[in-house]
Amino acid sequence: MEFWLIAVLLTFAATLAVLLPLTRRRAATAADGQYDLEVYRDQMREVEADAARGLIDPQSAEQARAEIARRMLKAEQEAGQGSSAPRSVQRARWLVLSAVLSVPLISWGLYALTGSPDMPAQPLAGRMASNPADGSVSELIARAEAHLAQNPDDGRGWDVLAPVYLRLGRADDAVNAYRNAVRLQGESAERAFGLGEALATAAGGTITGDAQAMFERAAALDPGDVRPRFMIARGLMQEGKNEEAADMLQAFLDKAPADAPWRDQLGAAIAEIRNAAPASGPGQGDVEAAAKMAAEDRNEMINSMVAGLDERLKQNPDDLEGWKRLVRSYLVLGRRDDALAALKRGSDALAGEKRNDLMAFAKELGLELTETKP
Amino acid sequence: MTAEIGQFALVLALALSLVQSVLPVAGARRRDPRMMAVAVPTAFAVFALIALSFAMLVHAYVVSDFSVLNVVENSHSQKPLLYKITGVWGNHEGSMLLWVLILAFFGALVAFFGNNLPPALKANVLGVHGWIGTAFLLFIVATSNPFARVAPAPLEGQDLNPILQDIGLAIHPPLLYLGYVGFSVCFSFAVAALIEGRIDAAWARWVRPWTLTAWMFLTGGIAMGSYWAYYELGWGGWWFWDPVENASFMPWLAGTALLHSALVMEKRSALKIWTVLLALLTFSLSLLGTFLVRSGVLTSVHTFATDPGRGLFILAILTLFIGGSLTLFAFRAQSLSSGGLFQPISREGALVFNNLFLTTATATVLVGTLYPLLLEALTGDKISVGAPFFNMTFGPLMIPLLAAVPFGPLLAWKRGDLLGVGQRLLTAFALALLVTGFILYKTSAREVLAAFGIGLAVWVMAGSLTDLALKAGIGKVSAATAFARFVGLPRSVFGTALAHFGLGITLLGIVSVTTFGTEQVVAMKPGETLPVAGYRLRYDGLTPAIGPNYTEQQGRFALLDNAARQVDTIVSARRFYPARRMPTTEAGIVTHGVNQFYISLGDDLAAGGIVVRVWWKPLVTLIWLGALAMMAGGCISLLDRRLRIGAPARAKGPRSGPAEASA
Repeated sequence: MEFWLIAVLLTFAATLAVLLPLTRRRAATAADGQYDLEVYRDQMREVEADAARGLIDPQSAEQARAEIARRMLKAEQEAGQGSSAPRSVQRARWLVLSAVLSVPLISWGLYALTGSPDMPAQPLAGRMASNPADGSVSELIARAEAHLAQNPDDGRGWDVLAPVYLRLGRADDAVNAYRNAVRLQGESAERAFGLGEALATAAGGTITGDAQAMFERAAALDPGDVRPRFMIARGLMQEGKNEEAADMLQAFLDKAPADAPWRDQLGAAIAEIRNAAPASGPGQGDVEAAAKMAAEDRNEMINSMVAGLDERLKQNPDDLEGWKRLVRSYLVLGRRDDALAALKRGSDALAGEKRNDLMAFAKELGLELTETKP
Repeated sequence: MTAEIGQFALVLALALSLVQSVLPVAGARRRDPRMMAVAVPTAFAVFALIALSFAMLVHAYVVSDFSVLNVVENSHSQKPLLYKITGVWGNHEGSMLLWVLILAFFGALVAFFGNNLPPALKANVLGVHGWIGTAFLLFIVATSNPFARVAPAPLEGQDLNPILQDIGLAIHPPLLYLGYVGFSVCFSFAVAALIEGRIDAAWARWVRPWTLTAWMFLTGGIAMGSYWAYYELGWGGWWFWDPVENASFMPWLAGTALLHSALVMEKRSALKIWTVLLALLTFSLSLLGTFLVRSGVLTSVHTFATDPGRGLFILAILTLFIGGSLTLFAFRAQSLSSGGLFQPISREGALVFNNLFLTTATATVLVGTLYPLLLEALTGDKISVGAPFFNMTFGPLMIPLLAAVPFGPLLAWKRGDLLGVGQRLLTAFALALLVTGFILYKTSAREVLAAFGIGLAVWVMAGSLTDLALKAGIGKVSAATAFARFVGLPRSVFGTALAHFGLGITLLGIVSVTTFGTEQVVAMKPGETLPVAGYRLRYDGLTPAIGPNYTEQQGRFALLDNAARQVDTIVSARRFYPARRMPTTEAGIVTHGVNQFYISLGDDLAAGGIVVRVWWKPLVTLIWLGALAMMAGGCISLLDRRLRIGAPARAKGPRSGPAEASA
């Protein structure tokens, strides 16, 4: 509203600048020659002054006077001839009218094409002062950045910002933020792991030497944390050391508490690594993704891994360990019916000792194939 | 909302410029005083609107309004306030807005000071000025809108090119544009005269203050740009014959010629057609400079954005104005009354000599600048016409011109006495010879060219002082009378002498630094020393530092005299601007008198230590001090009381006309 008011006022003023001189009555002005005469009179004074000061000799002064006088004569003639009265009293009314109208028409027309009157200005100070709860993530980040630019030694700030950067894929910023956090807040398993992840992401997903060192540091700082192990294993797999990776994870699994929620997943992953040729299996990308994912996302990845296992067992049914893993995986995922179906398929596919083994395994987990009992 | 007001004011200025282009010119044809009178208030209103628009853009930069695309692309919230403001014209859109702002400013000045102009001439001048304004406003609105908005607004800008984050950006472009655009007034006067088909000595008098103003600012703009490039780019050079530099140098050369030929026209009513042509050419060269810089034909720091659409638009403007004005000239030139004849040995003869050499020099620079571009366009071959070409062609042209400078002001109008003038310049000549001999003796005659160059500089300087002394009558009359006469001299005499003296100063600096300057590229480890120009330079190592929007590594150097006392500390730095991920170097410069030590840091060495470039630049600041003296000369001439000519008394009736409209 305020804008339109100003626009109208500006247009009014601009139109007035054209309109006023056109409507005002004017007396006849001096002829053009008169203006020339003023200049020549001035030149004449100049020559007199120079002559008086002795800057030019009398002969030159005389010549100059004569020359200027000739010019004055000519200008006086012109002034006499040229009438300054309007040549045509009948003014080009259409020209004047269209000129006056063109000011509002052209300006508003062009503004309609180029302007965005509905967009409010967004000065940064105003945006920073608004309620943080209303802000978007990027706005909150900008706030935090502004704060940290002023207080670069606020370790907590860096601590908060670092994982946010990482999640947004701003890996370089994340590396910088984690380093600052470590510098100011001291080392912790969380920071070491985050820095490792940031370094790996910055390197396009490759576990670099630096990243691997950070994961190892994180593992040392928190021996019970499974995530750094995953990443270390991934680093090893990158070098083709699948066996070593599986052994390392197995050793970790053996020492892990029995009620750890990730036991089964880890077991599945170890099996995957062992089964896979160095090039396939849960690839580096998959593990990297699993380590970074939120719980639901991770479940989804596990699901797809389980589906893969299911598919393989269809092709190659004579695999006791495979069936065990499949049944247990379905149970872990809460898909009891699928687990039962898998058990059924396993018991059909296997025979003798292996079939009994599978049944005993299922019974331990609380599953029984009642209908298949002879 | 502020950005939208800016946008609206801009399109309103365009609409009003269109009226300013049409009505006054039509009025002048019809001798309709009312239509002619529209020129003055519209010129003021256009200036006010563009100023408002510009202020809105500055405001958007200052408050970091990232809903404006131009601010996002060229600013950063952490940038110091000064660079937020200068960043307004550190980019294509903003600099074009500054261009039209200054154009409209000159239009308003003509309207304000134009009471002594015949109404028809004034209406035509402002009308032609309106054409230029309309063309460039249309260019901005159509292809380079500085007020384009973005939604959603980003939270941080991309920052200004770090090389441009310097005080130089606050001074160089505005000064340069004041010069470039100032010549638009001369252009408008010339086209107006051609339209009217009437031109005389009075015309030259009316144009003179505008030529002087534009020339003064252009001199300052070029000098400032040169000094900025010198300390910012870290190459130790002060002039590179870079096409962009040439683009500003050509209008300067042509403008200098115009300044001198207009004198002949004013005093002798001669050289009229030539002067009008020069006025057209000078602004045409300014436009050509704008085209070269803005179209992206040249790629350098000055080309903020390369966009073929913009280039074509500017090329169209260029063709329209240069082609149009020259065509008009071709049709009208014969009908202009030609001036009287004159003797070759006279003041006017000397000024023709000056024009001959200046325009030839302009042509030389033009060829050197455009030839590689044309060749590349036609054959695809990339060649570089560098300093050797210009030194071989431009240099020799300047020698006779400079040698003739002291003669000009001493020769009388109409018929000069070369021998007499020569006698009066004997002292200056003897002094120049003495200095030349001294330099030859000191350098064991190894630097013959330098000795003569310095001799020439002394000759120019002593010559301009001789002019003042002779005009004051020193030696002929008593000291008291001489002093009284000296004080009473017209200011334009002082202006001429000072500008010519400045020319000599600049020449002295150029010759000295080219011949006696030294350059050393060495690897230094902390604690090591290097002998430079009688001092020893000790490297003290790198220390990190943090600026407002950059981090830097400062290389610290101590300058020790013969007794190993520290006389100065020099800090040269390598900066890194994280927003643009761009490194820059900051040269370390200390000034001793008019000489400078100049240090630039290179790369780190694997073996430890760092590559350091060290220059010793004797008398280097004289190059720019000379330009300042030239500017001061122009300024003093401009203040000459005699340039103020009254308007004729009105024929009759109530006081009206331009004076009232401008109130």
